[in-house]
Amino acid sequence: MVMPGSIAKREGAIYCRPMSKAKKSPSGKRSPARKAPGRAAASSGIRWRRLVWQLALVSLVIGLLGLAWLDARVRQRFDNHQWQLPARVYARPVELFSGREMTAENLDQLLSLLRYRRDDAAREPGTFARFNGGVSLYTRGFRDSDGGEPAQQIRLLIDSQRIGKLTDAGGQPLPVARLEPLQIGSIHPGHSEDRVLVKLEDVPPLLVHMLMATEDRSFHEHHGISIRGLMRAVFANLRAGQMEQGGSTLTQQLVKNFWLTRERTLSRKLTEIPMALLLELHYSKAQILETYLNEVYLGQDGGRAIHGMGLAAQFYFGRPLAELQPHQFAMLIGLLKGPSYYDPRRHPERARQRRDTVLQAAASQGLLDDKLLGYLRNKPLEVVPKGGSALYAFPHFIDLVRRQLGRDYPAEILASEGLVIHSTLDVLAQLVAEQKLSDFLVPHKELNGAVIITAPDQGDVLALVGDKSPRSAGFNRALDAQRPIGSLAKPAVVLAALQQPTKFHLGTRVTDGPFEVRMEDGQVWQPKNYDNQSLGAMSLTDALAQSRNQAIARLGLDAGLGEVIRTLQKLGVQSRIPPYPSIFLGSLNLSPFETAVMYQTIATGGQRTPLRSITDVLDRHGAPLARYPVRPEQVFDPQQGYLLQWALRQAMIRGTGRYAVAQLPANLLVAGKTGTSDGQRDAWFAGFSGSHLALVWLGRDDNGDTGFTGSSGPLRIWTSIMAALPQRPMRLVPPAGVEMVWLDADGVRRSGQGCEGAREYPLMTSSIPQQSSACGKVQSVPGGVKRWFKGLFD
Amino acid sequence: MVQRVVRLIVMIAVMSLAACTVTPGDMSVPMEMPPGDPLKDSAAESLWQMAVAAREQNNLAAAGRYLERALYMQPESSWLYRELAELRLREDDPQSAEVMIQRALRLAPPRPAYQAALWQLLATARMRQGDEQGAERARLEAEMLVRRR
Repeated sequence: MVMPGSIAKREGAIYCRPMSKAKKSPSGKRSPARKAPGRAAASSGIRWRRLVWQLALVSLVIGLLGLAWLDARVRQRFDNHQWQLPARVYARPVELFSGREMTAENLDQLLSLLRYRRDDAAREPGTFARFNGGVSLYTRGFRDSDGGEPAQQIRLLIDSQRIGKLTDAGGQPLPVARLEPLQIGSIHPGHSEDRVLVKLEDVPPLLVHMLMATEDRSFHEHHGISIRGLMRAVFANLRAGQMEQGGSTLTQQLVKNFWLTRERTLSRKLTEIPMALLLELHYSKAQILETYLNEVYLGQDGGRAIHGMGLAAQFYFGRPLAELQPHQFAMLIGLLKGPSYYDPRRHPERARQRRDTVLQAAASQGLLDDKLLGYLRNKPLEVVPKGGSALYAFPHFIDLVRRQLGRDYPAEILASEGLVIHSTLDVLAQLVAEQKLSDFLVPHKELNGAVIITAPDQGDVLALVGDKSPRSAGFNRALDAQRPIGSLAKPAVVLAALQQPTKFHLGTRVTDGPFEVRMEDGQVWQPKNYDNQSLGAMSLTDALAQSRNQAIARLGLDAGLGEVIRTLQKLGVQSRIPPYPSIFLGSLNLSPFETAVMYQTIATGGQRTPLRSITDVLDRHGAPLARYPVRPEQVFDPQQGYLLQWALRQAMIRGTGRYAVAQLPANLLVAGKTGTSDGQRDAWFAGFSGSHLALVWLGRDDNGDTGFTGSSGPLRIWTSIMAALPQRPMRLVPPAGVEMVWLDADGVRRSGQGCEGAREYPLMTSSIPQQSSACGKVQSVPGGVKRWFKGLFD
Repeated sequence: MVQRVVRLIVMIAVMSLAACTVTPGDMSVPMEMPPGDPLKDSAAESLWQMAVAAREQNNLAAAGRYLERALYMQPESSWLYRELAELRLREDDPQSAEVMIQRALRLAPPRPAYQAALWQLLATARMRQGDEQGAERARLEAEMLVRRR
C-alpha cells in the first residue's frame, strides 16, 4: 500500500526541477500561468510529455532492474539446483546359480514382484518368456559395491525345486547371475518431494513427442512463449468444447513449477513470461526438457509428493519409465493437467478419458496410426494398486533400516542425497514369515505377534514382521514391544554354568524341587514349574530341554547371578537387566529383536554378530559410499558354544521342541527353546538350523492371556516357516577340546555304554571326570601327554 | 591357572629347543585352496576369483562383497572364510578376522598343512589385537601340525 506522504514526496521529486528552474528566473518572481493561457497550455503539454518520458525512463530502469533480478534468479536456481532425492532402499538381490533351491512358484513370485512382463522371447529388460521346463528372462541390471550386474538375457531350468541349469542367451553356462533388487521403500521426512531422476536420453522418445503434442506443439520453435501456440490452444479448446490444450509452453510450465506459485494471478503471469524467455536464452531445449520431465508434479502419496516421470512410472505402474507402453505414457501426460482430479486410482474413468484425449492428440500429430490408436484406447489403465506395491509392503523392516541408517547419516542427507541402500531383506523369506504368522492368527483375533528371521553366519536380517497385518505401518512389535522373555533366558543360565567347566557340565545333576530365596527387600521368591510339579534330580541338559523352572533357578544361583547377567550381556543384551534371580526364568523385558540378537550369538556357537539390515550404501550415481561388512566377535569359547547348541538340540529331540522334529525332515538338524511368560501373556520360540535363525513371539496388546505356551503356539509357526525355507542343517561337530563321554546315572563318573542310567554327553576336556563307575568298559581317560596338552588349550 | 601358566612355559621351552631341528621351510605352509573344499569347481568359485582380482586392485569393498556372496552360495567352504579373514586383516579388523579363522578351522578338511596355515593366521590376528598369549598358543598349534606333516 502506498502512503499519501510517499506520493507527495515522489511528486515533489518529479516536479521539483522545473519549479526550481522557474524560481531561478531573472525577475525572481514566479510567472502566473493565467496571465498567458496559450503559453500555459503549451507549457503544460511539454510538461506532460516530459512526465511521460520520465515515467517511461523510470519504468525502463525499473523494468531492466527487475529483469536483471529475474535473470539472476533464474540462473541461480537453475545452475545450482540440487534435486531433493530421498534414499531408496532395496531388498537383497536374488542370486541365481545352478543348484540353488528355488521352486517354479518362487520364481513366479519374484518376477511378479519385480513386475516382469511376459512376452514371447524376453527381448528387452524386464520381460520373460517360458519354454519347455524353463524360463528365459532379460534382467534389468543394477549397480552395487562390487560393480553390480549388467542387464542381460539369461535362461534357467528348474528341476526338482532347484535351478538345474543357468545359461546366457547363447546357451553358454553362467556360473552366477543376479536379478535386480526390488525397491522396498524410500526414506524421507513427513512432507517432501520424491523423484527418480531420468536423463533425457533414457526417456522414450514417444513419451517426449506425446508430451509436445499435448502440451506444447511448437516447443522446438518458440523462445519460451508461443503466441501461435496460445491461439491454437484457444481454437482447439473452443472446437472441442473443453480444455484440451493448455496455452502455456513447457518452458512456462517449468517456470511455474520451479519458481512460482500455482495461483492464477496477473502478476504471476507477468513474471512467468520474462522468466520463460530468460530460461530459453540461457539454456538449451534439451536441458529445459530434461528438467521439466524430472520436476513436474504428478501425484501425492500421503506426505510424499510424486515428482517427475521416472517416479510416476513406478508409482502408478510399478515399472521403470523405459518399460512403459504408449497408453501408459498417455496416462502420465494426462495427469499433468490435474494429478488429483485425474488420479487414476480414485477417479479411473476421468483418468481414462483424459488418457484417451492425449492419445487422440498424439494421433493427430501422426505419432499413432488409427489402428494403434484404437488398440490403445481399448487398453485398461493397468495402474497397480497402491497397497500392492513393494514400496509399501514392508514398513517394519524399513523402520529397522531407517533406525540403523540414522546412526550414520543425518536425516537431511537421507531425505535429499538420493542414496541407494542395499538391505538384507530376503523377499521370499519375508513373505513366508508374514503368511505363516497371519495364517496361525486368523482364528485368534485378539492376538498379535512378531517374527524375525536372520542368517546366523552373516547376521543378516532376512525378514522382520511386526504385526499380523504386515502392510500396516503401526506399532512395530518386532522392535518396540518390550516383553518378558520367559524361558528363552534359560540358555543364558546354562551357558553361565558351562563357563565354569570344573564345576558344571551337561551331565551335572541339578534338583528340580521347591525352594525359596529371601530378597534384600524382604520379599520371598519361590519359583514354581509350569505343571506345578517337581521332578527331583535331573541332568542339566534335561533341566534345559524340559524347561524346568526350579532346576534352572537353582543352577542360576549356583552359577552366580552376576555370571548370568554378564553372560546375557555377552550374548548381546543391551537393555538393563534387573539384578534379581527371577531373570533366570525370564522376568526380563526384551524386544523380539534384542532377543534375536541374543540367540544369534547362540546360533553361531559363541560369535556375537550384530544384526544388520544394510549391506551397502551407494551415492545417487551408484558409486560405493559405505559398506556394512559382517563384524562378528568371539565372545564365548567355541567349546562352550557347541555345548549349549547340543543342549538346545536335546530340547528339540526330547524336550519342549519335539513337535518341530516330528514335522521337519529327519536330516534337518535344528535346535531351539520355547518360552512362556507368567500367565501365558507371552509365548516365544527361538530356534535355528545351519542357515536360518527364526524367532516368533505371540502376545496381546492389552497384555492379557494368550492361551498359548511357547510350544503350542510359536513353535508351530516356527516349524511351518522353517519347513517353507530352503534349509541347511546345523553343523553339530564337536570342536577340539570337546569329547563325547558316557557318564553314569549320577553324572559324576565315567561309565560304559549300556550301563544302567548311563548317558553320553559332550564334555570339555577339563570337565571329564577322573573317576569311572564299576559298570561297563570305560574308555581310557585322556591322561598323560594328551591330557596335559588339552589342558593347555581349554 | 598357575598350573596352566607353568605348562605353557615348559611347552614354549620345549618348542624352542625343538625348533632348532625344524628348518624354516617346514613353516612355509602352502596357502592354496585345500583339496576337498566345497568351493572347488562350484558356481561360487567364479565369485572367489573375482574377489581375488578385486583384492589385487586394492578394491577391498568389492572383494568383501564378492566373498560374502560366495559364502552365501557355499557356506561350508573353509577356504572362503580364510579369504575373508585375510581381507579383514588388510582392513585392519583383526577381531573379525579371528572369528573368520575360527570358522575356517571348524570347516577345515583334515589337511595338517592347511590347518597349520590357519593357526598361523590366527596367531597373526591375535597378535594384532595385542593377545600375545593367544597368539603364542596358536603358533604352537601350527608348529605341532607342521611336525605332523
